[in-house]
Amino acid sequence: MTTLGITINGQVHAPTEVRDDLSMNDFLREYLGMTGTKFGCGAAQCLSCVVIVDEPDGTCHTNPTCVTSAASFHGKTIRTVEGHAKNGELSPLQKAFIRHFAFQCGYCTAGFLNEGQVLLEQMAKTPVPRAGLEERIAEALDGHLCRCTGYFKYHEAVLDVILSDAKRYLIQESRG
Amino acid sequence: MRAETRVKTLVVVATLGMSMLTAYAAGQGASKGLASPESFNGIADINARSAAIFTELGKVLTHPRCVNCHPAGDMPRQGDARRLHQPPVTRGPDGHGTAAMRCNSCHKDANFEPGRIPGHHEWHLAPREMAWEGKTVAEICAQIKDPARNGGRKVEDLIDHIGKDTLVGWAWAPGYGRAPAPGTQAEAGALVEAWAKTGAACPG
Amino acid sequence: MRTSRREFMKWVSAGGISLSLSHLAAAEPVAFPARETLPGRGKLNPAIGGVGRVDGVAKVTGSKLYASDFRANDLPGWPERTSHAILVRAPDATHVYLGMDLARLSGALKPTVIVTAADLARINTRVPAYYEGDLFCPVGKTPLYMGQPVALLIFEQFDTYDRARMALRDGTFVQFGEETGPIVMPNYAAYRFTRVAGATPDAPDVYSPVLAGWVTPGRTQASALPVWSSTAHKNEAGYEKAAVYGDQIRAEIAASESSALVLDRTFDTQSVDPMFMEPECGLGWYSAKDKALELVLGVQSPYEATESIAFLLGETKAPFKPSAINAQFAYVGGGFGGRDHTPFIFYVTLAAIFFPDRPVRLAHDRYQQFQAGIKRHAIKMRSRMSVDRASGKITAFAADHVLDGGGLANFSANVATCAATAAIGIYDVPKVDVTTVAEHTRGVTAGSMRGYGSLQTMTALEVLIDEAALALKLDPIDFRRRNALKQDGRTMTGNPYIVSVRSLEVLDKLEQHAIWKQRAAEKARATSGILVGTGVACVTKDYGTGGDSSNGRVELSPDGRIAIFCDHVEMGNGIGTALANRVALHLGSIADEVAVSQVGVFDALELVTSGDCYTMDQKTQDKAEKDPRWVPSISSATSASIGAHVGTHAAAEAARVIFRFGLWPAALALWNIGPRDPRAKDFTKAQWKDGQLTMVGLPSLPLAKLAATAHARNLVTGAVAHGFSRWSWARARFPINGEQYRAEIDGLALRRGAGKFTRINRASVLFPPTDNNRMGTAYTAACGATVRVEIEKATGVLRIAKAYTAFECGQALVPEVVIGQAQGGFAMGVGYALLETLPPFEGGPGNGQWNLGQYLVARGSDLSLRDVEIELMPPLTPDELPKGMAEVVMIPIVPALLNAIHDAIGHRFAALPVTQAMLKGALA
Repeated sequence: MTTLGITINGQVHAPTEVRDDLSMNDFLREYLGMTGTKFGCGAAQCLSCVVIVDEPDGTCHTNPTCVTSAASFHGKTIRTVEGHAKNGELSPLQKAFIRHFAFQCGYCTAGFLNEGQVLLEQMAKTPVPRAGLEERIAEALDGHLCRCTGYFKYHEAVLDVILSDAKRYLIQESRG
Repeated sequence: MRAETRVKTLVVVATLGMSMLTAYAAGQGASKGLASPESFNGIADINARSAAIFTELGKVLTHPRCVNCHPAGDMPRQGDARRLHQPPVTRGPDGHGTAAMRCNSCHKDANFEPGRIPGHHEWHLAPREMAWEGKTVAEICAQIKDPARNGGRKVEDLIDHIGKDTLVGWAWAPGYGRAPAPGTQAEAGALVEAWAKTGAACPG
Repeated sequence: MRTSRREFMKWVSAGGISLSLSHLAAAEPVAFPARETLPGRGKLNPAIGGVGRVDGVAKVTGSKLYASDFRANDLPGWPERTSHAILVRAPDATHVYLGMDLARLSGALKPTVIVTAADLARINTRVPAYYEGDLFCPVGKTPLYMGQPVALLIFEQFDTYDRARMALRDGTFVQFGEETGPIVMPNYAAYRFTRVAGATPDAPDVYSPVLAGWVTPGRTQASALPVWSSTAHKNEAGYEKAAVYGDQIRAEIAASESSALVLDRTFDTQSVDPMFMEPECGLGWYSAKDKALELVLGVQSPYEATESIAFLLGETKAPFKPSAINAQFAYVGGGFGGRDHTPFIFYVTLAAIFFPDRPVRLAHDRYQQFQAGIKRHAIKMRSRMSVDRASGKITAFAADHVLDGGGLANFSANVATCAATAAIGIYDVPKVDVTTVAEHTRGVTAGSMRGYGSLQTMTALEVLIDEAALALKLDPIDFRRRNALKQDGRTMTGNPYIVSVRSLEVLDKLEQHAIWKQRAAEKARATSGILVGTGVACVTKDYGTGGDSSNGRVELSPDGRIAIFCDHVEMGNGIGTALANRVALHLGSIADEVAVSQVGVFDALELVTSGDCYTMDQKTQDKAEKDPRWVPSISSATSASIGAHVGTHAAAEAARVIFRFGLWPAALALWNIGPRDPRAKDFTKAQWKDGQLTMVGLPSLPLAKLAATAHARNLVTGAVAHGFSRWSWARARFPINGEQYRAEIDGLALRRGAGKFTRINRASVLFPPTDNNRMGTAYTAACGATVRVEIEKATGVLRIAKAYTAFECGQALVPEVVIGQAQGGFAMGVGYALLETLPPFEGGPGNGQWNLGQYLVARGSDLSLRDVEIELMPPLTPDELPKGMAEVVMIPIVPALLNAIHDAIGHRFAALPVTQAMLKGALA
């Protein structure tokens, strides 16, 4: 047994004892009832199960939960799909996914939202050039499997969010 | 009659058990052993003996547990069938993955058995110059001796690297569904030591 | 044989009462129907204005929607704790099953309850005929197939279950004894489809399945394959007639070898997994005191699931027999056919029944899903085609198909016939003879999967067509055009299509596309080390099964809000949004409460059914239909691409009735138009604009006002309708307000004001004739693809440089969803052509060890996302009804890729998939 203290979507969860062999995915879904994070393969090969981990240095990245123990998240701050909307207001990426009909059955959507959100936040920190943007998006999302959509509209939605707020995400060409 | 049948059944069960296991549960069973350094004493010529010892060590070096992370390209391989790693990952700037997919996102400090996933806190790809995939034992030998391609090591340093390093040691306790490297890490270390002491000759 | 509603099954559906649930406090669980009724009253509705789906918000916020999301404590009225079950499966089907190594599950790993074959026998469960086969392999028998369940282990605590499943995963938990070899079972089905056209296109056929009926060879010996020839020992007369014609066709093909182009080719397709993202899962709770069984399931066939579960428990001994079954159906994380008629539901049921008063969850992990989930049939095909050299016309086609149906029959017979009747694709061939047989094997069960056999046969066909065109030195598109079936032409079964036939238009689009036009130039400018090739293919796929039914219930509230209930299922196909859009055509506004996968909310129709609508004879149907409540079938699975055409039909008709008898009289009242005014009958002239009903010269009326008036005047404010289609909709007359209302429905109930729904006895009904069952299909949608590939000589790596697909689907109810489906179909087609494969038997997924590391599905990087163009053609006429397209969009890319590969490397592959390793080998 190990102590697990964790902050999820801004809520600090009081330390609790968990089995060493309890997966993070089961901790979220069985213990906390937070089923927005999905179970797709149990082998970190589809990435439906990823959550966002917020590092102390202000960076963030996604992390699968199906092959990782709950204990390994002790002391971490994470975000799940349930935490993207604030006070009922959907995030720009959530709105873009809806607007673009990006998903169909929706089971992989939480993973794509988390991955896309991480990409957006990284770009907001360190803007990138417009050239090669589509490749960047493709590389970031390629680990995520979807069986319904062929990925097209997911990519379009992420691109739309970036291009609609180019000042935030893209290196601005200076006109000298 | 009944006793015979029961014996026959048990024998068949055992045989079946073996054949069922080899395909996908090899991690549970005993792996093939490594020959001891002494067993090569019959080879009179010291160079030939040295090379033969390295060839035996080659069984470890060319095993999937090692080659999967010493790939020729930038992507690790996975499993006893050595398929391309799924999900697709690449070495990134430091061999520990790209920004979006760090090795330690999934591979934590130790194997996580419920997830059938291997782990070690140093999990990463061997540098390109240490690629073994597709190479002969002779070529690996030349490479592993070359300080320019072995991380600046002397031959003697390889004894502890192979014999004691814990990431290397993972190959003998890889977790469910993966066949361990042959023998034990101690046996492998002993072979390296014997090879070094006999002049570290390479097979021709 | 007429059966009334089964006595022991009472529909106690919470769905009937909790539709207008107001927002509950977060601490209290929201009722299941409220979670699944989307978007919900007062909630953001992206479907308004067409800027999203009705389930859009729920899906981006991680709301509980899928069966796998629910635990007992999410369901009001259920006990708090969820227990968990493991379905233990046999990874072997050639040795005798001896039992389980329960010793390894002692102490902290011990299951609370174990259920085996002996327990089922003891309580007297019954397996519905469709699922024939032991639910659990009994000790002392060889499993019927790899992955056949042997037991359920039920664990009170999650932690025990979590640990126990680790001890089970290597497959040695299930113990075997002597080797017996696989169980041999008779073939699931065998058919022969033969057609000989008359001398001219207008002349009647000399012989066809529509004229003569479908025929099956006799089973005169216990051999793996039937004897097909007309000289077989003891053929039935009906079969022999077809066989004589069929044998003759084959003889003619062989005889024409010297003068015509004759191709005789094999083509083998592989087993694949639908790989929907959510593994199968269900939740059950059996309250012993009330004898009430509650289930939460995620399937494509909710009505069938409920019926089958009722049958399973229909004669079980007390206390294992419920007096009420309430099955609720969730959104599903993908289906593609793999959730249609699967036996998984029985095991959820059994887990609940054997663990009374404690809710139990049964869920597959992905290894188990690969082991047990329904697969696509692998088909071995041999095709022979004769083409007249002078005219370039196909004169005869013969084929033999052998399908691997795996361990249970499931849909094998249907898939075989669908595959067979699709074997000539878009072409008009005057002499056709196709044999098909679906075999039992010890592999994983094959059943319904997107394409349903026609993907396999049309892939083989379009590759053959490509070869023929090249051999004849004809342009590949021109060759197809010469042979394409025209609108009035007859299909293989001998009937014409009754919807638009647009393959010629699709061919034109392919021909005019830059990818096709530039193929020579692109090949010429290929960079060194890269081989470039372009391929094309055009197919047409049936939608509908020839026995489809639709239930829809629509309610209008006094303030103009619309609620829709439908029996079809949301699996990504966007049925909820399609329903809202189609109902909006009649009622002017997008519903804010759409409940799909409904079973128990159409009771007002009081429908009864009997017999099998696919095989019934006319006399039986004529007699049965005299009961005004009788329909040939009550509810269909969501499959066969019927969501748009069938799934939305009944709700649309219900909405039409509300308009005619609710909103229209309300409008007349508000416009002060009396009954004798000629405009009183002008309801077809009224139009909805921005939620207002408009008519020339009259003030616009907002829906809310009309609804309030309809309620105040006790006009019709709600309707429940049922429709049945056997290649055309059943039509009936219903007396409403003193007139005979005619519509394409066979059941109707109305609600006036705030009253209850009451059934309207139909005055007369016209069901499609049973002879329609002889058609292979009367509905079709065409799709074509052209693709350019670049293959790296040294490695065999294939890149899709550019791809284009064009398709038509009549009226697209939600164009964005339709395009999305086409994109997803493209991706699935690429995976099927190049990546996905499952070995049969011992090396395959039945061994329980397969996951996504070995089974490769297409990723974004496999698809050249920016170089794929998809064109949705507008309907042929503005009023063309919706057509089903979800399957056809997966098909042509597969042969197009194969043809492109041939164009690039000069090698024609005759099996799928064509992997990088195979390309490298062919190039070596």
